[in-house]
Amino acid sequence: MNQALYMPVAAVIEEIKDETPDIKTVQIHPEVEMPFKAGQFVELSVPGIGEAPFTPSSSPKISDHMEITIMRTGRVTDHLHKMEVGQELGVRGPMGRAYPIEDFHGREILIVGGGCGVGPLRSLLLALIDDLDLYSRIIVRYGAKTPDSIVFKDAQMHGWGRGDAMDVMLTVDDDAPGWDGHVGMITSILTEDYLDVHPDDGIAVMCGPPVMMKFGTDLLLERGYKPENIYLSMERNMSCGIGQCGHCRLGKYYICKDGPVFSYDEIRGNPRLWDD
Amino acid sequence: MSWTLADRYSLDDVLAVLGQGREVYALETQDDGRYKLSRDTAWQAGRHTLGAFRQTEPLKALFFPPREFIGRWKEEATRQPMPERIVYGVKNCDLSSLAIFDHVFLDGVVRDPYYAEAREKTVLVSTDCSGQLDVCFCPAVGEQPYARQGFDINIAETPEGVLIESGSGRGEELLRSAEQYLQPAGDDLLAAIEKQRARRYRELTEQSEAHGLAPGTDLRAAVEGAFGSELWGEFARDCVECGACNYICCTCHCFLLADGMDEQGVPARTKLWDACLYSGFARTAGGGTPRPFRAERLRNRFDKKFSYFPQVLGRYACDGCGRCTEACIADIDIRRVLKRAVDESSTLHAGSGSN
Repeated sequence: MNQALYMPVAAVIEEIKDETPDIKTVQIHPEVEMPFKAGQFVELSVPGIGEAPFTPSSSPKISDHMEITIMRTGRVTDHLHKMEVGQELGVRGPMGRAYPIEDFHGREILIVGGGCGVGPLRSLLLALIDDLDLYSRIIVRYGAKTPDSIVFKDAQMHGWGRGDAMDVMLTVDDDAPGWDGHVGMITSILTEDYLDVHPDDGIAVMCGPPVMMKFGTDLLLERGYKPENIYLSMERNMSCGIGQCGHCRLGKYYICKDGPVFSYDEIRGNPRLWDD
Repeated sequence: MSWTLADRYSLDDVLAVLGQGREVYALETQDDGRYKLSRDTAWQAGRHTLGAFRQTEPLKALFFPPREFIGRWKEEATRQPMPERIVYGVKNCDLSSLAIFDHVFLDGVVRDPYYAEAREKTVLVSTDCSGQLDVCFCPAVGEQPYARQGFDINIAETPEGVLIESGSGRGEELLRSAEQYLQPAGDDLLAAIEKQRARRYRELTEQSEAHGLAPGTDLRAAVEGAFGSELWGEFARDCVECGACNYICCTCHCFLLADGMDEQGVPARTKLWDACLYSGFARTAGGGTPRPFRAERLRNRFDKKFSYFPQVLGRYACDGCGRCTEACIADIDIRRVLKRAVDESSTLHAGSGSN
């Protein structure tokens, strides 16, 4: 960060795309270039209203604009959803620790997403699939509540633009007319029937609602993934974003500066890890 | 270097010289015998005092204001430079607490220029405690009622004379500007001060021990060991989560960035003290929180002070000033909480048989 402490730079909204009835992807152009790494987050603010942390969903290789996928779920996101192309937001960042992509080279990578949690994972995927050859395999398992609430539906239904080269499988909790895919919780497609993986050296990256990450992590451990190879996005109430304000402490860490990406090994044992 | 007063001069003469050209913060005695920090343009003999024990409000407010204007939307930050300041009568608990703020605001990811300016422009004149409040317990957290470091100038008064010492280059320079009032301190005076300090430390230690907290008690092990204890729930039954303990604490540093409109209707951001006892403190969008119960929030406060800070900074974030005990309207005494943690962690460990 090189901007004034705690003050955002202005970013104009270039494009807004409806992903689901309550999720939008907003493309912004910050007036100061803001290069980030997949997994890092920014603080997005509606001037005079409030600020909240988001991890960009666009490729980290593009630095003059970024996309942020936002679910309407509170005061700030309500306002964000009401904004229009051409209006200005504030943005601070990037902040925090990214996915250690270099450590993924040569390995099998399982990406598990739930609901709006696929936002940060899309950023990671876009970074990875540009260099598919660097990884032994990339697998995506994604779950949403209903077919209507699948985020990035077109891309996900077409192997993230790579067709059959990518092993992508989707599931929905609740069936609906017209859906011919799998029905069941995300954990139901992480079983041996639906997921053929090599957990001994494989990397698993997960982002989604806390309850999904809890049961997802348990299942991946059962399947033989090593705690140090399971990467979780532990987004909490990151407010200042620079390890000062105290809101996002998790044990000996501040999620904003030591995370938001953690290996399970680093954080297991902390109470209420999953807000449960 | 160690000085004492030259013949014919009083401590007021020296203090007045030190404060020349600076905004002055000094203690005033209130009707109830307590001290408050007040702002002035000069040291006022008779009205100002160095104080026998700490003032009611925490020193942190001079460096980390309760409410700090950050900036207006799309405006270059403009801020009047802070005047040179001096604080008289700082006690060791408050002085020591600045290590926590330095860690957070100077040594972290980003240096806070406002905090840095406040630190750079403030001369700290500390004094030995010559009395104690009944809530004081600094020996239990590894502190003592006199400063060992962190001051520019320290003053210790005894019937045998006044010891004036510098603790920084700036303090040394300032004392040279008052050299005409000073002479080198003799060994007798140094010995008398040492004796007096030992006596005060003993008295405070006795007070701490009367509450079951002897110096050297491993409070980190106690708080971590009592994690699953019912004690948090029991104390939380009385707690009304007013946040007074957080605000008055000499080390609590958490804050909120609040957005709103200023008088001209321009979006503006303000930094405000926050309190981890509040139910919304760690709440995320959508309503989830890692600490939904008050007992967890109360425990979190102790966890932060006695487990987190020992892990990241090698010290407790508690200097034994006892302000939280005084401020608590539910009469929760931090010493009672810590004592319970000490007792229960040893019981829990003894009971488990493996630790």
